[in-house]
Amino acid sequence: MSAVTGSRVAGQGLWSGPGLRLIAAGLVVFNGFFPALWILFTSLKPESELVKKPITWWPQAPSLANYVQAFTDQPLGRYLLNSAIVATLSTLLSLFVSALAAYAIARLNLRYRQAVLTTIVASSMFPLVTLLVPIFETMRALGLLNTYTALVLPYTVLNLPVCTLVLVSFFQSIPRDLENAAMIDGCTRLGALWHVVVPLAAPGVFTAGLLAFVNAWDEFLLALSLNAGATMRTVPVGIALYQGEFTFPWPIISAALIVALVPMALLIAAFQERVVGGLTQGGLKG
Amino acid sequence: MTFLRRTTLGTMAAALAFSLAGFSAQAQTKLRVFSGGQNQRPDLMRKLFDQYQAANPGITIDIETGGATSELQRQYLSTVLNAKDSAIDIYMIDIVNPAQYFGAGWLEPLDTYVGPAATALKPYLPVYASANVVDGKVAALPAFADAMFMYYRKDLLAKHGIAEPKTWDELSAAAKKIQATEGNANLQGLSIQGAPIEGAVCTFLLPYWGQGKEFNDAAGRLTLDKPAAVKGLGTWLGMVDAGVIKKNVAEVKTPDTVNEFKAGQAVFAINWGFAWDRFKDDADSQVKGKVGVMPLPAMAGGRSATCVGGWQWAVSAFSKHKAEAAKLVKHLASPASSKFLAVEGSLLPTYAEVYTDADVNRQAPWFKDAAAVVVAGKSRPLSKDYGQVSDIIRTTTSAILARTKTPAEGVDETEGRLRRVMR
Amino acid sequence: MADRLPLLDRLRDPSERTLGLLLLAPAFVLLALIVVYPIGRLLWNSFFDLRLSGGGGAKFVGLDNYALVLTDQDFWNATANTLLITVITVPGALIVGLGLALLANLPFKRRWPVRLALLLPWALPLSFAGLIFAWFFHTEYGVVNDVLIRLGLEDRRDPTMWLLKPGWAMAAICLTIIWKTSSFMALILLAGLQMIPRSLYEAAEVDGATPWQQFWQVTVPMLMPSIVVALIFRTITALQTFDIPYTMTKGGPGHATQTLAMLIHATTIDYLDLGYGSTLAVCMFVMSLAVTAVYLRHIGRQAQ
Repeated sequence: MSAVTGSRVAGQGLWSGPGLRLIAAGLVVFNGFFPALWILFTSLKPESELVKKPITWWPQAPSLANYVQAFTDQPLGRYLLNSAIVATLSTLLSLFVSALAAYAIARLNLRYRQAVLTTIVASSMFPLVTLLVPIFETMRALGLLNTYTALVLPYTVLNLPVCTLVLVSFFQSIPRDLENAAMIDGCTRLGALWHVVVPLAAPGVFTAGLLAFVNAWDEFLLALSLNAGATMRTVPVGIALYQGEFTFPWPIISAALIVALVPMALLIAAFQERVVGGLTQGGLKG
Repeated sequence: MTFLRRTTLGTMAAALAFSLAGFSAQAQTKLRVFSGGQNQRPDLMRKLFDQYQAANPGITIDIETGGATSELQRQYLSTVLNAKDSAIDIYMIDIVNPAQYFGAGWLEPLDTYVGPAATALKPYLPVYASANVVDGKVAALPAFADAMFMYYRKDLLAKHGIAEPKTWDELSAAAKKIQATEGNANLQGLSIQGAPIEGAVCTFLLPYWGQGKEFNDAAGRLTLDKPAAVKGLGTWLGMVDAGVIKKNVAEVKTPDTVNEFKAGQAVFAINWGFAWDRFKDDADSQVKGKVGVMPLPAMAGGRSATCVGGWQWAVSAFSKHKAEAAKLVKHLASPASSKFLAVEGSLLPTYAEVYTDADVNRQAPWFKDAAAVVVAGKSRPLSKDYGQVSDIIRTTTSAILARTKTPAEGVDETEGRLRRVMR
Repeated sequence: MADRLPLLDRLRDPSERTLGLLLLAPAFVLLALIVVYPIGRLLWNSFFDLRLSGGGGAKFVGLDNYALVLTDQDFWNATANTLLITVITVPGALIVGLGLALLANLPFKRRWPVRLALLLPWALPLSFAGLIFAWFFHTEYGVVNDVLIRLGLEDRRDPTMWLLKPGWAMAAICLTIIWKTSSFMALILLAGLQMIPRSLYEAAEVDGATPWQQFWQVTVPMLMPSIVVALIFRTITALQTFDIPYTMTKGGPGHATQTLAMLIHATTIDYLDLGYGSTLAVCMFVMSLAVTAVYLRHIGRQAQ
């Protein structure tokens, strides 16, 4: 948001005092960080400390041993790389495909656009567990098992409904005059899409992108079934494999979770400005 | 020899050498084995595979890990085998799975490779003759055994002059006495698993079998003695009321029992064989040298019974190298392999004679006590619908232990649901 | 034909209809490749008695599976649980998410901790969120009981067994779901908040509207499209709730917290009953479609 004049924020004057704002910030931060902090503390404890009564919060003798073990028990670094590649590629592909589709639905005067939107959203209404076997067979028939493509394509499809719907709603909120102005100046429709609409809908684009990225990063079932090879596994599957039939090593799993959260946190911190950036303020004259 | 003859002979010799080399190179078979997670010791299996590879130069063996828990394994296998995938040749499966997987057509019968069921499974412990034989065919061969043991604090029993309890009532009394005298609020009398995990099926069956009752007949039909089942579950609840078992027993999973016993928070604990090494060797174990193992108590007038576990080797019905896979499985289920696993990893043997082997006893002296328990162990219901049977038993048992159903209600419901499945 | 331009010219400056087809093609190619065959198989299987335990042969039974669903106690129990979770967590996540989004929208000197805190719950993998909260609610080792005992609200010797009582277990599950999904809602709503032009607020202020009135007259109406989008997906995923109850209670105690998706999972993976599992999945689809049809029509109307 651009610079705020005075202490009154548009529409939110209720929380104008700095004290109340601090409480507000405290609430949001506590809500988001508490479980992550708990996991962080757990990752510094040995397993025996977890059955102490009463329970301990801060580790009695913090140590990084669990992190070392997390990386030696399994190739966690490799898993992170796999997840990063798969999530990035599927997010970019998702955004591209859904931006095109959303533009068609939001802007073009097509008779069947309601049906198209419903179809795209309806594809997410089936529980994934019932679609696993046929998807596996498809990927096997294409020779794609244990490759990045095997996950990128389904993840793109899984994220298509959310991205499309988010972008449709954001495109709709942008007045048509701006595109018309661009087209009068000689732009084609597609040009108007990429040069005018998408930049103005940037918060929506980055939101859709973040949602798609996180969904792809955290997906488990497909990753377990399609990319089972040790070198191609993604992070959620890897973390699930620290447990054994009779063991559930919370400290090591916590360490792995923290390691997995860090890139996501960095990504979010880097892009959160873009999600809520005030790029729109100038372009829209209300 | 003339020049021509020498050249011809030389050429023929070279051709023969090359073709032999080419032949063995072409006969290189790669077998892929799906072998579970940490608790199934892929490191030891790797050593066995390396030995086999050395003795059989035409074979290379790759391990696929991924079935860390029975749940994850089932999730993965049900996708892959439903799609009739041929990528994996050999599976290591839990003892409760051969009936279901063979019934689903996922396992190759091994009769042609190891002989008919009656002779092939005779050398092993008796329980495997039933668990691994489905429709009269050999569905799997045993990898290593496991059973539920009663671990107890030798030192506490000695301190209070109590002998090993032979019945559940004796155990309850002993535990109460020790808890009262020790005065430690965190000391549980007995730790059992009440969460809706596979182990809860054993929690249901132990006091039931302890009365000498059978759950199903040889044909797989349900023969549930309802009053006995109610009495068995009532025994657990009685111990909860007496403070011997903790009130939130329906939250207790296998690792919880191990961690709590290891921290000195329980007098008695029921758990699988792997726990012994954890109590003895773990750096943070408070009970080193203080642990004994004994057969499970019987109900009054009944007999001691325990739940048998353990993992089995099976060949995929969709494998492209069935003969080689079966040969490997036969080797992996041999007495030599069983002894190797016992010595290197304290994995319970599947042959009675290996329990008394001198080398084994030097490495794992407790196997002498364990032998009696495992040999007398019983297997959980063998059913092609075991997935559903297990779900029914463990869910209702956990609900009864959480006191959301009375034992009578729960057993009624269990019987009703099971009747529909185990005709 | 005189009015049909050559292909290349049509591509460079296409008519609306051609452009529409071109723009929608990539999406539909992907859908066709990945989900059309699986969904088709699913529908097909639902008309067969396909139980792998019986040897794998499929027997055509027409609508028998669907008739079985109607008399299945477990199905109705699971559906009731699922609808309960939906009715509680969809509005719950919306209210909490809107609150979080508004709070995060305030001007802070350093905004990134607040924004990061907003998104972290979404970033934690679903199954681990369930396991962590199951731990928080654990009778002996959970933070919740620890805090209550320290505050004197509970007796150390008789702590509440949250996950072992059907009512409390359901409450704990709903709380966890709201915690996790409110950040999804907040993310969408926050972006929507950013799109509201400042001039509207300034105009309302000039007209003498209080902050509360500004909220209802400017913020909520302008945010409606984002709210609808967020609600659609929250509802669809609420009807498919699986990971959190599965990891927290496994559907227990008994079947008190078993959702429809858990029943489908058990039927398909544990019981290997593919025919009936497919039938249940189709029922879930019909439910989702019915519930979201209302929302989607709203979006469609907006597009005029």
